[in-house]
Amino acid sequence: MVSVAVRVRIIRPLVLTALALLALAYIVPLIWMVLSSFKTNTAIFSTPFALPTHIDLTRWATAWDIGNLGRYALNSILITTVSVLAILGVSSAAAFAFSRYRFRGSGLMLGLLSLGLILPLQSYFIAQSTMFTDLELTDTYWALIIPYTAMGVPLATYLLKVYLDALPEELFEAARIDGAGDLRIYAMLALPLLKPGLATVAVFSALSCWNEFLLALLYIQDDALRTIPTGLLAFSTRYVTDYSLLFAALSIITLPMIAIYVVFNRQITEGITAGSLK
Amino acid sequence: MKPHRFLSPYLFVAPALVVFAFAILTPFVMTGYYSLTEWNGYGDMIFVGLRNYIDAVHDTVFQTSFINVIVYILLTLVVEVLVGLLLAGLVLTVRRGSIWFRVAIFTPVMLPMVVVAVLWSFVYNPDYGLLNAALTELGLESWTRVWLGDEHTALLAICLVSGWIYAGFYMTIFYAALRQVPSEVIEAARLDGGGEWDILWRIRVPLIRNAIEVAVLLCVTGGFQSFDLFYVMTNGGPFHATEIPTTYLVQSVFRTGEVGYGSAMAVILTAVVVTMGLLLAALRRTTGREGRTRRRPLANAKEAVW
Repeated sequence: MVSVAVRVRIIRPLVLTALALLALAYIVPLIWMVLSSFKTNTAIFSTPFALPTHIDLTRWATAWDIGNLGRYALNSILITTVSVLAILGVSSAAAFAFSRYRFRGSGLMLGLLSLGLILPLQSYFIAQSTMFTDLELTDTYWALIIPYTAMGVPLATYLLKVYLDALPEELFEAARIDGAGDLRIYAMLALPLLKPGLATVAVFSALSCWNEFLLALLYIQDDALRTIPTGLLAFSTRYVTDYSLLFAALSIITLPMIAIYVVFNRQITEGITAGSLK
Repeated sequence: MKPHRFLSPYLFVAPALVVFAFAILTPFVMTGYYSLTEWNGYGDMIFVGLRNYIDAVHDTVFQTSFINVIVYILLTLVVEVLVGLLLAGLVLTVRRGSIWFRVAIFTPVMLPMVVVAVLWSFVYNPDYGLLNAALTELGLESWTRVWLGDEHTALLAICLVSGWIYAGFYMTIFYAALRQVPSEVIEAARLDGGGEWDILWRIRVPLIRNAIEVAVLLCVTGGFQSFDLFYVMTNGGPFHATEIPTTYLVQSVFRTGEVGYGSAMAVILTAVVVTMGLLLAALRRTTGREGRTRRRPLANAKEAVW
């Protein structure tokens, strides 16, 4: 046992140092991005590793003003919020019915929804885009909110059903005996009990809506409606040679997200991993 | 529980089914129909049977796109899954005090992939990019390259970015699984004189086989569906060196207006993704059954390695 203790005492600081170096190397691109946003374009070329001479936020202000970044962020927030709320509402209701009631056709309907767990985006987005063009949905928020909701529902329903299946039947029977109707049982009993599940679903749904790119690229041409991913891409092609401006825009977008992640890292990590492990 | 009113369960399920049927199921079926036609998106639709499929199979660019995506998947299995496993093993030796490390490595996962792609195309930029600057600084000027413009390095460069994003994700999955390995098993192995490295590879890794299989499944099926990184960093170039099925079919449908042909490629890609997914899942089930019949985890672990 002594040897184990010695090994731990020597290895631990060694591994910790290695981890520190590794973490540093890992975030070098992010550090470089922030540092470069404080430099002039010539300094980015000539002294890529030097610290900026002073912290100058004017490039950030310029990027924010001329780059429409506020608009993109607002669009992303709006679309993500509405989609996530829709996913939570629609899926919790469906999960409640699938988990708690036996009714004709439930197996078939659940099976249809489960198709959404295996079908890749590529299997439907071509016809979806012609459909949305015909219905004149493109270049509206709905063009993203509807598919994001539809894409989120199958997995959310599945996960929430797993949560609900674990609850004892007596709970629901008791509410029924007390005279509660179907809607009341769902709203007053199932939803509050589902809170942890809803939180997990909200985290990974929000991130996938926030980061979605392909559909946003195809359905939104109007710059005033762009979300962050497509907006940033448009920005980067518009100011392709103004490097410090581009770095400032990248910093403005990534730093708040990193800050949020550092604060809520446990919830976010759990949410993302739960969402992809199914 | 019996519904209070007969219709209630249907009303609860209806919104989910309606939105899913409208935005996914209907276009899924329609994409299948488009694939049997020649259509530019607005003019007349001509039924051509399976001709698009025959053309797609003989299309050298489409073939290349599949080879590229398979190379990409194989490389990402190394730089994402294997590196993630190694990192998890490393983190496991310190456990406490490693949270800041796990946060740092996981950070790229939650950033929009487009943002990451734009950032990395700066890192790879031949003129002011970080990579060439670092190589020059180290006196390795001859190694500098137009990383994303060079046919030989473009795909590899994208794989590395993919690893940078997802290694932390797989590390997190593996770390969670590794921590659930009962400590008695590990103690027993230590008493038997096993080194930490041996314990990791011969005992811990086989015991978290389930997590590894899930990771491989995610990496393979997710790999076939990639788009964002490729579109932003190279859009299939140079000379189709990074062309993958999705960049090619987006190009066909939305740039050259070959909706029917693009749909056929989409159907082929879907078939591949679904088949791979089901195949890997079936493989897991059969090996899982064998695993369960053998109850002794240690013996099981050793057999799995040798």
